[in-house]
Amino acid sequence: MILDQLILPWLLAWLVAGLGAYLVAVLDRLMATGSAQAKSVWLAPLASAAWLMTQQATTTEAPDAPAWRLAPALYLALAATGLALVPWSPTLVGVDLSTSLVLWGSLEALATVVIFLHGWSANSHLALIGAYRYVALGLSYLLISMFVLIGVALPAESLRLTEVVAAQASLWHVVSQPLGLPLFLVVGLGLTFWGPLDLADSEDLSGGTAVERSGPPRLVWALARAAMLVAFSAIAATAFLGGWMGPWLPGPAWLLIKSLAVLVALLWLGRRLPRLAPERCVTLMWVLLLPLSFVDLIWAGAVALWMA
Amino acid sequence: MAVSWQRRLAARAPAPVFLAEGARIGPLRETLALSPGIRLVDTPRHASVLVVAGDIPTGWRDDLRRLHDQLPAPFASVWCRCEPFEALRNPIRNDAIEALPQGVVETHRELMLGKRDSAPRLLPDEPPNPWEGLGDDGHGGEGMMGGTPYGRPMAMNMQDDLRDGLTLDTLTFRLGPFHSALPPGLQAEVSLQGDLVQAWTITRKPFASVVEPIFHAARQEPVPIAELELSRARHHLRRLYRGLRVAGWPRLAERTLRMAGQLSPNSDIAGLRRALERGGLWRLALPEPGRGDLDKEQARQLGGPAARAAGIDEDLRSQDAHYRRLGFAPTCREAGDTAARWQQWLDEIEQSLALAGQAARHDLKTAETAAVETPRGPWADGSPHDMSDLLGEVLPGLEWGEALLTLASLDVAALDLHPLDIWLADTGREGRA
Repeated sequence: MILDQLILPWLLAWLVAGLGAYLVAVLDRLMATGSAQAKSVWLAPLASAAWLMTQQATTTEAPDAPAWRLAPALYLALAATGLALVPWSPTLVGVDLSTSLVLWGSLEALATVVIFLHGWSANSHLALIGAYRYVALGLSYLLISMFVLIGVALPAESLRLTEVVAAQASLWHVVSQPLGLPLFLVVGLGLTFWGPLDLADSEDLSGGTAVERSGPPRLVWALARAAMLVAFSAIAATAFLGGWMGPWLPGPAWLLIKSLAVLVALLWLGRRLPRLAPERCVTLMWVLLLPLSFVDLIWAGAVALWMA
Repeated sequence: MAVSWQRRLAARAPAPVFLAEGARIGPLRETLALSPGIRLVDTPRHASVLVVAGDIPTGWRDDLRRLHDQLPAPFASVWCRCEPFEALRNPIRNDAIEALPQGVVETHRELMLGKRDSAPRLLPDEPPNPWEGLGDDGHGGEGMMGGTPYGRPMAMNMQDDLRDGLTLDTLTFRLGPFHSALPPGLQAEVSLQGDLVQAWTITRKPFASVVEPIFHAARQEPVPIAELELSRARHHLRRLYRGLRVAGWPRLAERTLRMAGQLSPNSDIAGLRRALERGGLWRLALPEPGRGDLDKEQARQLGGPAARAAGIDEDLRSQDAHYRRLGFAPTCREAGDTAARWQQWLDEIEQSLALAGQAARHDLKTAETAAVETPRGPWADGSPHDMSDLLGEVLPGLEWGEALLTLASLDVAALDLHPLDIWLADTGREGRA
């Protein structure tokens, strides 16, 4: 029991987080084809990680020391917790909670706190602006996430992710709720502050919340961001792409393929689009995407009733 | 000394470089950006090599020392056309710009492999200003507010927000003179409420900007119009590169820079324009219409592309008979805001490439020598002078990101009237080789 319910899920979550983060670095470099840094895509992330491990971890003048030290680790822990919720097959699930969708929602909210803490605790002006920005943006995409996730819970009549997958046996949610996945992808970019929604650690802030970071803590922060991207992709594949379901291949293989597809889509969007101006971003969220998430929810409810 | 596998692996990582740009150094940032094995970073905390290049005024050495000491160990500094600090043992000096990228990569490798010691700290590990607080949690002032602990003012509730009148704490800090998103040499004291710029006061003016030697030559003798226009297009592409980096679009920024190094009279930028439009630069990333706008007088004072983006139909090329033969007419926009200036770059690049193509076919040279329209503005009896004080009028009221994108669109530094003795005209090709 200890092995099945404690050690194996723990190992699975951390293994996927570590390998997934490496994969994110490789894929991102592959997509930067033509870049001066595109050589040796497989080795480059490892070399950069080794460089950060040799580098001194600097500190700022009078940071909030506990928060400054803990924030990267907390963000990584949130990503690992998210991965623990992902069902790889009907039986291979790290933590099969009856409220796993609620827990995922709370992880998204806690991520906002951790990212703010990362910027605020540095006691540095550019890091602080990054933190403010993230909080200002966070509410708008969290609301979208909430409505979209309720949408996938309705047909399953459950907040358990394994039930959500089972409910897609006849039709995946990506088809029955066509607005859901695109809206959820926007949430993913916001949650991981990636690509067009990288407002917390952006270039105009010289790195934002991570502007003062160096050495191993910076490596942990980068790992955590990548691991969160992986966790989000796996949750999206579970909620909208039928999770483990598929012919011929075993369930975990299907989930891996589907998660990879979502991950590639997110990374591609990150490379393809410029960073959104904060004001335009908030307007887009509240005026267009949030109403669309209402429509998605109504649509999901109507389809669930019809199919019932 | 045995070198661990970890350090051997680290030596294979791209060299993270922070560039402190001095005066009269030319497009060195662009050269480094395209150099294999180098990754330019925006904060000294993310670097292992500090490159100090160009003339740094003597009075700025303390700023440079602070910057130097912000790099995490192990680190090194490489000095290019600049005197190293005396306190550095065996400083690395490399005045040959062509050899600089390889030298930087080697320095990083040597650091990682333990063949070179980390540079020493130049300043004591203590706050730059003494603690002026009162009591255990003192903040240097009376009551809950006020004071200047460590010589820096606390965030204080001093004025109403420019946007909606909501009173928030004001955060005041100094930025520059080596900040990568600012023109080299510019230093400003910035007051923010949230991320809204409340005040922008210039405390040091930017170094005079250099243009390619052909613009200087054009004031001495007729020069091929094709070459002149290609240089103009290259200048605008390099500015676009810096802007796109700030806009968080590194891949397209690099593509723009590569294009700058490969321009020929047959080049076109249709693909780049398409990528910018389809990616949503104007609809999503740049400030909304009307933001960062200059009035006619400000635009006239600034001159060049900024003036033409505001609808001022002035371009010294109109006075040149050979340009008129090519059917030249200034290209203008009306809005005069940040987005219009970014659009103006693209319009002028396209126009310059078209002119270069025509001029090359007819082998035309300039007819006028007394006056030349530089990429920075008109240079006739007078030359473009420093307009950085304008930023104090334009940037307040903008959000931080908007302010930096607006700043990227404004060429406010004076024009350096002396040609640079070397010029890396082949930046792109060299970097990709």
